[in-house]
Amino acid sequence: MYKQTKLIFGQTEPSFIIRTIDNAFIPFDPANTDYQEYLKWLEEGNTPLPAEENN
Amino acid sequence: MPISQVPFAGISNPVNFRNIVINGDMSIAQRSTSVASITTTGYYTVDRFKLALNTLGTWTMSQSTDVPSGYGFASSLKLDCTTADASPSAGDYMILQQLFEGQNLQYLKKGTANALPLTASFWVKSTKTGTFILELYDQDNTRQISKSYTVSVSNTWEFKTVTFAGDTTGAFDNDNATSLQFNFWLGAGSNFTSGTLNTSWASAVSANEAVGQVNIADNTANDFLITGVQLEAGEQASGFEFMPFDIDLGRCLRYFEKSYEYATVAGTATGVGAILSDGSVGALTTNYIMGSYPYKIEKRANPTVVVFDSVGTSGKCSREYVGVSSSNNQDATLWSNNTSKRLTLFSPSGDNRTNILFQFTATAEL
Repeated sequence: MYKQTKLIFGQTEPSFIIRTIDNAFIPFDPANTDYQEYLKWLEEGNTPLPAEENN
Repeated sequence: MPISQVPFAGISNPVNFRNIVINGDMSIAQRSTSVASITTTGYYTVDRFKLALNTLGTWTMSQSTDVPSGYGFASSLKLDCTTADASPSAGDYMILQQLFEGQNLQYLKKGTANALPLTASFWVKSTKTGTFILELYDQDNTRQISKSYTVSVSNTWEFKTVTFAGDTTGAFDNDNATSLQFNFWLGAGSNFTSGTLNTSWASAVSANEAVGQVNIADNTANDFLITGVQLEAGEQASGFEFMPFDIDLGRCLRYFEKSYEYATVAGTATGVGAILSDGSVGALTTNYIMGSYPYKIEKRANPTVVVFDSVGTSGKCSREYVGVSSSNNQDATLWSNNTSKRLTLFSPSGDNRTNILFQFTATAEL
């Protein structure tokens, strides 16, 4: 399962997704194999949880 | 005596960095020296060695001191079956593998008429005897070649060499992604064993990859140990290329780094090794505090990062008023300019402090 990150000052769009099982920050880098897994997860029709107020 | 006249007597292959395998003597284990209850794919103990596991038993993986005596090795990788699966389903598999970046393989001239053969050599000790499959899998061109070797005597160290022909079809991409898988099959369902073992380079057909492979998951008495893993250009195995610890560690850091002391497992409750942000004494705030850290070695790609506070809570950091007070379980989020070279962490809000303190792991494995 994945969760979106909250935007902090200066950010206009997220650049990471959080993997909830270990709270890992996964960057949107096509060469990152965890990001590749996330994209596959999206392709399977899944949707990440919305960002929490505090994450 | 001029260097050019120094004899290479006794050195079977003096080429440095001839071993494509990183950490082949299993000397580096940054994550942990032992992990139990493994049922899924991942990197667990010895650096750079990935266990690809799909519903085929439960395992403890460890860095062991059980080694072939008298050959200079101090460590091996050990797999201990703790829950057996004697009847694999068709799609089940267990593979110990190392994956290689294409940019490190260009000298093999794959996909040309001058493609070089590769020779694998390693020490293996297995409770289960019989046929095992070693495979090279070209991930760029979906081609593969498999060779078998035999473990003859149970629970006894044996030295094996396997040579693969060069492949004149399909060049490796010149980039930082996986081009070649080096696969030690340890168990396989019929999806991978029902054909004819493909012993020449060809387009990959799953059924031809692991024909004849024994199932080391069929009994909880089974152990599998391996060390001295080398893969080099040519048709002869040379002596294992031992590297100094710092050189091996440096190569592993490209794929995994942690802030903790070498022997400390990530998530341990400790501030030893933690990153403490710069700050102004007395400039207390409940708002943003930033900490930044340049990695020891640039990562293969922008890494996956897990941060911890000083009591080991993941996704959190500690906020500090150095020498005065400390709070754990504080909000933490990565800044958007993180790269393969640098980690920048923000604590966007929290207790009234001057600095943040955090531990981390950064993973850029293939």
